Amino acid sequence: MPGVVINIIIAVLLCWILFITIDIIFRLPEKGGVSGANAIGTTIAAEKGSLHGGFMMGNIVCSPDASAGTLLAACGVFVAGIPGGLIAAVLVYIGNRICHDPGYAGTTGALCATFMVAGFGLIGIPADAFIAGMVIAILTIQGISHPYASHLLTRLWRIRA
Amino acid sequence: MIFAYDAAMIPTYICGIVALYAVIRVLTEKKTLKKLVLLNVMNFAITGLIVLSIPDIMALFAGIAYFVGSTLESNAIASTFAGGKANE
Repeated sequence: MPGVVINIIIAVLLCWILFITIDIIFRLPEKGGVSGANAIGTTIAAEKGSLHGGFMMGNIVCSPDASAGTLLAACGVFVAGIPGGLIAAVLVYIGNRICHDPGYAGTTGALCATFMVAGFGLIGIPADAFIAGMVIAILTIQGISHPYASHLLTRLWRIRA
Repeated sequence: MIFAYDAAMIPTYICGIVALYAVIRVLTEKKTLKKLVLLNVMNFAITGLIVLSIPDIMALFAGIAYFVGSTLESNAIASTFAGGKANE
């Protein structure tokens, strides 16, 4: 039992760092990709939040980005190893195109996550820990406090910009 | 044996608890656009649950189809609230 929990905590930290880094590298907080993402960003900003962090949260809602790529790649590796992760990356790209998005962030996230999950599988952290870890990581951004999360994302975006 | 549990099931329980938490937050939130953000957390958790419950390649496809479909729906609802295509 303690081993499983420690694996999940390590997976949360790795997933959080991976998807935030890739999303910020691909300039998700810069602007809303579609009008819905813009609307979510301005709504969060209007309630003591921050605009750029809100745009990034809107983009996560409106299109499969690196966080979705990480989750689905972890699911793919859990089911079928590295080929499963690559299948997930292709399907994430198709999903991105359906959602009117260029699709670079999601596909890159899925590819990086495939090799991350497979690599850490070799040293004893199983793929199901990464699935739970990604669910907790997205909970910390989207589910607990929108004002705090958006301010944190804006602060990280200022380092990049 | 209500309190019996298996350590290997902990990731599944985490997904279930997060999904329940997200649903409660959605029900107590008033603004539709903020509901969509919380609903996104539920979509992540349910996708995890689908794949963790049935470790099969077809369940992977079902999970991805569920996730992409729900994202597309959120996108459509948010864009409609923002004024639709005329506002882009």
